[in-house]
This record gives sequence, C-alpha cells and structure tokens, in this order.
Amino acid sequence: MLRRKRKASDFSAEIEAHLEHETARLLEQGLSEQEARAAARRSFGNVMKVEERFYESGRWFWWDHLRQDLRFGMRMLARNSGFTVTVVLTLALSIGANTAIFSLVNALMLRSLPYSHPDRMSTIYTRITGSRPSDERHKLNGEQWELLRDNVPSLISAVSSSRTSGVNLQAGSRVEYVRVGRISAHYLDVLAIPPVLGRNFLEDEDRPHGPKAAILGYSLWRNAFGANPKIVDKTVSLKGEPYDVIGVLPEGATTPLNADLYVALQPGREGEGGGTNFECITRLRDGAIWQEADAEINRAWSLRTQRYELENNPGAQVTYHSVPLQKGETARLRPQVLTLMLAAGFILLIACANLAGLTLVRVMRRTSEVATRLSLGASRWQIQKQFWIENLLLALVGGVVGVGVGFAALRGLLLLLPEHFLPVAHVPLDGRVMGFALTVSLLTSVLFGMLPALASRNVDLRSSMASRTVAGGGSLRLRQGLIAGEVALTVVLLAASGLLIRTLVHLETLPPGFNSNGVMTAKASLDDVRFHNPAAFRKLLAESTAAMRQIPGVQQTAAGLSLPYERTLITGGIAISDGKEAGQKVMADEVYVTPDYFAALQIPVLAGRSFSEADGPDTQRVAIVNEMFARKFFHGANAVGRYVDKDTMIVGMAGNVAMAPGIDPVAPLTNEETMYVPAAQMEARQLSLLHVWFQPSWIVRASGPVDGLTAQMQRALASADPNLPFSGFYSMRDLLAKTLATQRVEVALLSAMTALALLLSAVGIFALIANIVAQKTREIGIRLALGSSIRQAMVHVGAPGVRASALGLIVGLILCTGALRAMSSVLYGIGVYDAPTLVSVALALGLVTLLATTLPTLKIARIDPAKTLREE
Amino acid sequence: MSTQETGERLELLQGTLDLLILRTLIFGSQHGQGIARAIQQTSEEELLVEHGALYPALQRLEERGWISAKWGISSNNRKARFYSLTAAGRKQLVKETAKWKRLATAIGRILDPAKEG
Repeated sequence: MLRRKRKASDFSAEIEAHLEHETARLLEQGLSEQEARAAARRSFGNVMKVEERFYESGRWFWWDHLRQDLRFGMRMLARNSGFTVTVVLTLALSIGANTAIFSLVNALMLRSLPYSHPDRMSTIYTRITGSRPSDERHKLNGEQWELLRDNVPSLISAVSSSRTSGVNLQAGSRVEYVRVGRISAHYLDVLAIPPVLGRNFLEDEDRPHGPKAAILGYSLWRNAFGANPKIVDKTVSLKGEPYDVIGVLPEGATTPLNADLYVALQPGREGEGGGTNFECITRLRDGAIWQEADAEINRAWSLRTQRYELENNPGAQVTYHSVPLQKGETARLRPQVLTLMLAAGFILLIACANLAGLTLVRVMRRTSEVATRLSLGASRWQIQKQFWIENLLLALVGGVVGVGVGFAALRGLLLLLPEHFLPVAHVPLDGRVMGFALTVSLLTSVLFGMLPALASRNVDLRSSMASRTVAGGGSLRLRQGLIAGEVALTVVLLAASGLLIRTLVHLETLPPGFNSNGVMTAKASLDDVRFHNPAAFRKLLAESTAAMRQIPGVQQTAAGLSLPYERTLITGGIAISDGKEAGQKVMADEVYVTPDYFAALQIPVLAGRSFSEADGPDTQRVAIVNEMFARKFFHGANAVGRYVDKDTMIVGMAGNVAMAPGIDPVAPLTNEETMYVPAAQMEARQLSLLHVWFQPSWIVRASGPVDGLTAQMQRALASADPNLPFSGFYSMRDLLAKTLATQRVEVALLSAMTALALLLSAVGIFALIANIVAQKTREIGIRLALGSSIRQAMVHVGAPGVRASALGLIVGLILCTGALRAMSSVLYGIGVYDAPTLVSVALALGLVTLLATTLPTLKIARIDPAKTLREE
Repeated sequence: MSTQETGERLELLQGTLDLLILRTLIFGSQHGQGIARAIQQTSEEELLVEHGALYPALQRLEERGWISAKWGISSNNRKARFYSLTAAGRKQLVKETAKWKRLATAIGRILDPAKEG
C-alpha cells in the first residue's frame, strides 16, 4: 500500500506549535495566561476536525475503510450462509458453463495456430456471385495446384490429402495399421516445421511416380522404431513397398492432418488430381503483401481449362481470395460454437436475474440496518459502498469456484467429443480464459448488484426506523419482472434444445434400410501394392470371407468398399447408355461389394437379382442400383436390364440405405443415388486409387453373441493374409454414432445448458415464493384466523410466481418466433415451429413452475395463526 | 469597494486561501501561525481566517509541490515548521494572481458598470 511521507504525530506537533506561538503573541498583548490560551484555541477552531481532515486526505484512510468494509462484508455473508451458498452456487454454475464454452471459442477462434507467424498463413476461398452465391473453402484439382505452385510467387503454397487414410506399416516383425497424411513438397515449409532429424520432401520426391519417401511423426518414431537416431535413410515397409525414411518431425509438432506419418502427395492432373481432392494451405513470403498474392491467384487460375464452379450456375462470377488459415480450419465448427456461447450468455443473464432478485430481498431485509447506520452518521455513499463490496466478494468467490466448475465441465466435454473432432490439439485454460472468467464475474456483480443498489437509495429514515416490517411492495413487481425475463430466456433455450433433440431422434430413427442387429464390421487398409492386382484382391476377399463364415454362430459374411451410415466414393460421369436418357452423364455413389453384401446386411433387392459368384472379371459387367438412382435417373421406370457406361448391365434394384451424404450434403444422414458393382469386376487402376481414400469393411452377421468374435475375425483374416491387420471393429451403432457425432455433441451440450437454465429459473421462482411466505407470515396468519383455507392461502401466495412464469412463457414464445428461424439450417425432419416441441416446452415449464411455487407454500400449513398474531 | 458592516469580517471565498498562502510566502519562509497573522494584518483585519483551516491547506500545497517545509526555531526560540515557496509554487502564484485579477475586474464591471466609463 502507498504510504504518505508525513506522520499524523508530526502534524499534531505543528498544531501544538501554532497554539504556543499564538498564545505567546496574545500574552505579549497583555492577556492573562488562561485568557491567551483560550483565545488561541478559539481562533484555531476545532483541532480534532483539522486532524481528521489530515487523516482522511491520506491514503491509509482508504485502505483502513476498505479492510473494514471487507471484514464487515465477510461477516455479513457468513451470517447469511444460506444466501451466500445459493449465490455462490448459482454464480459457480453459470460462470463455469461460460468458462468451459469460452475456452472452446478461445481454442478455436482466438488462440493463434501453433505455428511461427500464424498471421502469414492462409488458405484460399472461392467467392461465387450470381444466382447461387457462396464464399467458402474449395478443394483444388491437379490443374489448379500446378497453376498455383508455378504462377503465384508471393506465396509458398502446399496441398495435402483432405484427410488421413489407414495404411499398413511393417515395424520389426509386426504390421501396424497407422494413419498416413499425404503432403506436397513445401507443406512443412508452409507450417514452418523443420524436422528434428533429416529433411522435408524435395520437389523431385513430390512428382507423380517419384521416389517413395516418408517422414515419421515423433510418437510413431518413438513407439514403433524405439526413437532410433539412425532411422534417416533407412528403408521401412509401407503399403507393402519400401519407403526411405527421410525425416522425423519434432516432438509436439501438429499439422492440420495430425497423421502418424507423412508421405509425398505426388499430385498430378490425372487420377486423384483429375478431381478436386487436394486441401490447400499457403504462407505469404517475406516482403510480399496479400493483395498482390490474391491478384496472382486470380490471374493464375483464369488460365484454367475446366471451371467446375460455373456448371449449373449461369452468369456467375468467380473470384479467389486468401483467408486466415485459422478461420479456414475452424469454419465448420464456428456456428455451433457461437450458438453455444450465446446459450452460455443466456445462462449468465438468467443467473443475474436470480441474483438480483435474491440480493434485492436481502437489501430490503436490511432496511432497518441501513436506517440505523444512516442515523448514526454513515453517508449514503458508505452504505452503497458496503453493498457493492459484498457483491464483489460474492462475485469473486463465485468466479473462483466457477473456474473450477468450468475446468471440470471442459474435461467432461472433451471426453464426450469423438477423437479428432476438434481441429486443434489442445483446449487450454490460458490467461485469456482466466481473464474472461474474471471479467464475467465482475460484470455479473455489477449486473446483479445494480438493481438492489438503486432500490436501497431511497430508504426513508423515519418510516424504516419505526416499522420492523420489510419495505417493498414495488420490489415484488420488480422481482416478478426479473423472473419473467429469465423464464423467457429459458423458454428459448428449451425450444432450441427441444428442436435439436427432435432432429437427433429423427435422424437416429430414420429407417436405415437394412438390419443392423447382430452385425459386426472391421476395416483394413488395402492401400498396399500386393492388392493392386485384381486377382490377389479377389483371392483375399474370397478366402477371408469364407474363413469368417466358419466361425461358429456366424450366418453370413461379406465385404464392401463402404457401409451404410458411412460416406462413400462418389463417381461422376456415369453415362446412361440406352433409352430416352441415353447420353446423359450422372453422378452417384459407387460401392464395390462381394456377392453376399445384400444378404449379410439384409438390404432388400426389390427387383432383378443380387450379385453371385458367377459375376466375375471375364463375364458380363453388371451393376445394382438403388431406388433413389432409378427414381432420379430413370424417372421411376424399371432400371433392370438398362445399360450404363456402355457395357454395364443393371441386373437389380436394391432398397435405399441411410448414409452420410457426399453428393449433396443437405442433411447429416440421407439416401443418395447409389450404384453397387461386384468387387470381382474391379480393375487394377480403380483398386490402387480407391484404396488410397477408403478402407473397405468386412461384415459378419451372427445369430447371437459370439465369444471372442473380433479375435476370431482377425484370425480368419490372417489365414488369408498374415500381414494384414484390422484397424478396428465397429458395430453399426458405432458407425451411426460416428456419423451423427456433431448432432450428438450439440444436443448433449445444449441440453445440459438448458437443464441448468431451467434449474436456475426454478430456483428463482422458489426463492420469490419462499420470500413472500416469510414476509407475509403475519398476513397469512390473519387470513387463516379469518377463515381462509390453507389451500386458498397457498394459491394467494403462489399466484405471483405463476403469473410471472406465465408472462415469461408468452414473452419466450414470442422471442422464439424470431430466434428459432436461425436454427433452420441444423434441423432435419422437423419444421422450425414444431408443435410437439413447443407444447413440451410449455408443459415442462408449467410443471417446473408448479413445483417451484408449491414447495415453498407448503410451509403455510405449519403457520399457527394464534402465534403469528401474538408476535410483533 | 463595498462598505463593511462593523464587527463582521469577510469569509474567504473557496479556493482563495491557497493563493493567499502562496502570496504571503513570497517574502520568505514562514511558519503556520506567522502566515495566519500575516494574512490578517495585510488585509487590515478584514479577512477571517480560521487558523485551523490553514493546516490542511498547507498540507495540500506541500503535497502538490508548490511549497516545501522543514522544522526550525522561530524568532522567539520556539520549534516551528517553516514553509517556503518552491519554483513551481512561484509559477503557480503568478498564474493564480493573474486569474484572480481577471475575475475581480470582471465581477467589478458587472457590479459597478458606470465607474468603468
């Protein structure tokens, strides 16, 4: 604490000296000793007052008073432990919710990416104007990549695969399934990650059919290769081929892909590069500026020969611009996280309304204390200060507990999220989150302290001293208003989470189109040179599925490129070859399957036939389409017997199955036009490309639970190929959960917050009624004495709570009409104004209101009229 | 000048005490009682200075750095705290004096416009 230089004793000595001088002067003028001393004092005035003024002007005074106020505040809070605990709990829960959600916002949007000079990193957005405008991150094709790489000198550019894929790595005698990221030559330069051992990929290694090289991630290097310091230039067996290890990434280094190891992407214009399959990141070179870079990108890409953006969008203008990488990476989660933050803000407001109500009552109860202090000479400012200090104390304690709650909530939340759901490695509680929690605490104390402080300003001394009862008829109106406000916000949250729950239920109960009971699946990587040969591929599938069928209890086995609920391969340019649609080119999902695929999953074949062992590489090329395909491309006419791609005959039509969309992602789970082809008719060229992207699944249907099923499946696969590990085993339920992960997380978080809001509102109503009961004990006693029944008294007391809640419900529903419209993009299968949801909201709120008003009024039954009348 | 009712002294206007203290110290260092006497005598006993009010004012001026103080022995051999003007105090005095004169002239014009001609 700051301390003034001069001591009070020194000041007193000076005054003493003054009085002596003055006395001496007066003595000289002929006054008697006694007269002189009295006159000196008289002309000086009040010594004590002067000394007080000296003291008060010092800074010690402030400190002393603050300490005193704090001590007094703590005593008051300790004495009202019920009040204090309620307030601290309310604060802790609401601040905890806000802290947890804010730490997500912080990690996703505010923290810099963990790379050097993250402000110079970007990705490229495509802005399309015209009838269907958009502005988003597009993937690049091979042509775009080459133009970007060769004609944009302002940027260091790099591309990668859009996700990791599974591959088999031989480490010692064991083959492991690891996640590989495929990256172009300067990818690690854009991220500014120098390897700890070796080097990054050279441009020569990144050319199509270039040398095979790999960079190991730090943990793979440690776990699979024992942190061998001489690993560089050694050869490892990856995808069944020798790869030179050229580098090891540093510990803790992350990339947007977060793979176990990296190989060169080797992008070209053919194959993978023929479509938009590459994710792009860039870094501004030293000395260059963004405008220049954007101009170069637009110039470079105007040279493209094919412009897919303009298909089906006549009159559109296409431009490209750089967007901070942070934004590009988190765009997907941004709306969800901001919605959650908004919900958390609602919680805070609701908490504030409750706390304002509680403190208002408390201040009213203390009217006589205030009056007494005023009459003893305390200034109004001192009284106000006391209240604010108590609020601040509460807010700080609540804030500290709240950060603890937030930390726990965040841990729980991160456990709830599926792996690799967030594009960031850590969600820390850093200084910014702490600062946020502190700010929110202080803000809360101001918000909930303001009303009571205003209300206590006009305490009338005389009337408050005289009566012992609590003032504040007007305060009831105010508290009802607060309750109505918080109930309104709760209604909005209830409706929003109700809609999300209904959406999730809708998606989870969509008719799947197959029978998921008793199905176990497993994935393995066939991105392996041994299986590029169609004969070897056919042999593997035939032998492994046959071996699995030998497992006791297993009824059917099959394999396929993908499963229901999953995303699958999209093939464009499928030509319809006959009939009135002849010549039309269409886009559809394509899945290769073994003959028993439909039987194993119990997908009905509605027309024609299923595949059989007879559909081989040398027989008529065949396909089975689903209903959606037939409806969309053959206008519902019989598809069986029609031809696509010149010589492929459609031999059957299968039912639709629910799947993750690839062609038109309007819903997280949908039916898409699909074409199934026999695995046995796949060509070498297709196999090598498909398996880079997709890991096929083995499907086993058992009649009941089978002991050690997964181990037996792995053994069966090993009998066909000893060096092929399964990456994991999934029930269909697991796959559904994975596809709907975003919706599940959204529902879980929003429901938790809504429950909190409902709880807080219930507490608010409860406190209001309990307080009325306490205040009106005497009045109720009189009513009972005059013949009112207990029920009537309960209704009389509970009515203000019900009225406030009803008003809140109405206001909330009005708010909903505007607020819910913003949700339409995340709702599936239900409308924004969903009657069952709104009715449930009203019912839930009614029930909670009834409980919260009835419980405190039960106390009325215990009121003894005779006793209450004797009091006072 | 307005006439003075007998037996009643003029109360100091808010803020003028600081100016008077600074002005008094221009003749050299002085202790509190001396300053109080000087103000009363030079104003020909017109101004009422409650001696007690002087000390908080002195303290304030000292904290602002316009005057400095140290303990010494007065002419009649008593201990006293002597105040003297600092350079900043001198500047402040010039500024305040000018301000006060302007104020006095302006008020004079309003109260007695005829005399100004």
